Amino acid sequence: MTLTDRIDPKPPRRIYRWDLDKTYLQTEFDTLRQLVRTALQKAHEKKAVPGAAALIRELKASGDSQLCIVSGSPTQMRAVLAEKLKLDGVEFDELVLKDNLKNLVRGRFKALRGQVGYKLPVLLQSRARAPAGAEEVLFGDDAEADAFIYSLFADMVARRVSEPVVYQVLEAAEVYGDDIDRVMRTWESIPRADPVRRIFINLDRLSTPASFALYGPRLVPIFNYFQAALVLMADGHLTAAQVLKVMVELIQSAGHNLFTLSNSLQDLLRRGLPIAEVAQALGEALQGPQAMLQAVRPVPDILSAFTKRAASLGAQAAPPPARDIDYLSLLDHARPRTHKKRRR
Amino acid sequence: MSEAQRPITIAFDVMGADHGPLEVVKGAAQLTLDAPNLHALLVGDRALIDDALAQVKYTAERLAVHHAPDFVAMHEKPAAALDERPRCSVLVAAGLVRDGEADAMVSAGNTGAGVLACARTFKLIPGVRRAALATVYPTAVSRGEKNDPFSLILDVGATVDASADDLVAFAVMGAAYARIISKNPDPAVALLSNGTEATKGPARVVEANQTLSGLAGLRFIGNVEGVDIPKGTADVVVCDGFVGNVCLKMLEGVSETVVELARYAYKEKLLWRAGLAMLSGGIERIKEVTDWEQYGGAPILGFDKLFIKAHGRSKARAITNAGKVAAKAVKSELARVIQTALPQAPA
Repeated sequence: MTLTDRIDPKPPRRIYRWDLDKTYLQTEFDTLRQLVRTALQKAHEKKAVPGAAALIRELKASGDSQLCIVSGSPTQMRAVLAEKLKLDGVEFDELVLKDNLKNLVRGRFKALRGQVGYKLPVLLQSRARAPAGAEEVLFGDDAEADAFIYSLFADMVARRVSEPVVYQVLEAAEVYGDDIDRVMRTWESIPRADPVRRIFINLDRLSTPASFALYGPRLVPIFNYFQAALVLMADGHLTAAQVLKVMVELIQSAGHNLFTLSNSLQDLLRRGLPIAEVAQALGEALQGPQAMLQAVRPVPDILSAFTKRAASLGAQAAPPPARDIDYLSLLDHARPRTHKKRRR
Repeated sequence: MSEAQRPITIAFDVMGADHGPLEVVKGAAQLTLDAPNLHALLVGDRALIDDALAQVKYTAERLAVHHAPDFVAMHEKPAAALDERPRCSVLVAAGLVRDGEADAMVSAGNTGAGVLACARTFKLIPGVRRAALATVYPTAVSRGEKNDPFSLILDVGATVDASADDLVAFAVMGAAYARIISKNPDPAVALLSNGTEATKGPARVVEANQTLSGLAGLRFIGNVEGVDIPKGTADVVVCDGFVGNVCLKMLEGVSETVVELARYAYKEKLLWRAGLAMLSGGIERIKEVTDWEQYGGAPILGFDKLFIKAHGRSKARAITNAGKVAAKAVKSELARVIQTALPQAPA
């Protein structure tokens, strides 16, 4: 069976959950000036992370899937964000934004920066509405607490984490009492399942991939969306032709070339991701007649670069070991970034 | 992809340095973060490289790994080690440069093995018979656009017995390097001898002096003596590898002795200690100005491909800078510049 054949003609219903800032959009809001500029940007001025739009379009094109976006951006930006997504040809099924005005009016200042108390209940509520058998793939970034929140969400739905641990985590993350109750109630209502197949963390801050090792092999830190597309191809979500479309967007919009792409492929191989077959299937697809391949010529050079990078590693790396996540030891990851700095 | 868009790739021999692979990997990884058009190719034991990469920030798009199972240790005899282990990291890295997988090589490992690996793998520039190992030395004067306090000395060990023609080639290569790396458009070049007169020194030095005096495009200032090296009389000091190596080791010895004496003085008398404390600001400033790590390492000149030999005890910063220096030389087409400047053989 070839990799392309692995794409199920009737795939299970899939949910792709995306964060926006630093995951889909190239956003800077570390300073007040950046924050103001981001807030005032028009839709056409906002820039997507290279490859993200192409990846979403290809994922949405495969079978029965939903795109659910959960972002910490304020609800007041809904119109401009929706317009940006439309401009990029991205059709979403859910777009949840953070009502920080409400938090401000109610004097819930901890909730302004807090991520766990906002995203976790939203994810659980969305899951409670989802078809029981739907698989999920989550996309976040390394700027805040996405790795922690997504992993906790996955393990809560799979009942791999106990109630007392969840309580401790929520208290450490300074989540308000009523939000804790909401999390617990919603969690109880969700049927036990193990739907989260992958969690991708876009390394916007260039954190080391090794710093996410404690989250286990389900979570894959990525330097670009070509890497995500390769893993998703290995997981049966995309065909080689679809990965090539992501590759073309990276070449055309972000100046990627055969060196950066082959290095990205090698980086995944080196980290033990099971994509050796993918590289081969991609090579075969590259030799096809598609018109879009004009953008990635000369094809023999690309094939040779991919093959060389794979071969130069010597033996294939062992896959990263599966492990239970000790959320209590990772509590610092759950706190807002400003708090982490203070505690150091 | 056009040549202008093509990134410059530096092959780093990760093995054999005094601090182990971590500092080399750190330095190379930093290069991928600092310079968008520079790529790092890490050559060495894959498992050790993986361990090191787990500890540092890098950009995967600009970094690749090439496994080499063996390496040459500092204490080993280069020729025997290279014969025994053809898959050692320095030889594999040189091969990758020869094959166009990388544009230049940096190593902080065994110097002899590095030079020999280049000699066995690279081609000499037409007109150059022997390669030279160059090093920088802090001097009393600064030069060039960058106010560079370092002069360049070559050869310091690659060619023990150099002829007059070799010395002329070394002068041309040193001047080209100083123009490109120190941004010194018209470096003063001198021959190291036992007197400043053109007739002083062994026959090869006298003959080289005659040739260099008539060579267009080179500011040859004649002979200088050992005392002129720290004074900075010349920007490029030329000698054979035997003299250069003795000279370099002596300069290093003097420097170490001065430090030892300062330590002794610090311990011996409270007044001396107070004096040293008062001077500490100035000493720090001298240290900053004469920080060799900004140069990263010593180039091996004369081959069609560049090899920067970083100091064995180089830390990450020196390795990063060695990579940047190598990239600058590649971008400026150092080998072609040298070839153009060499005296043409009579028809």
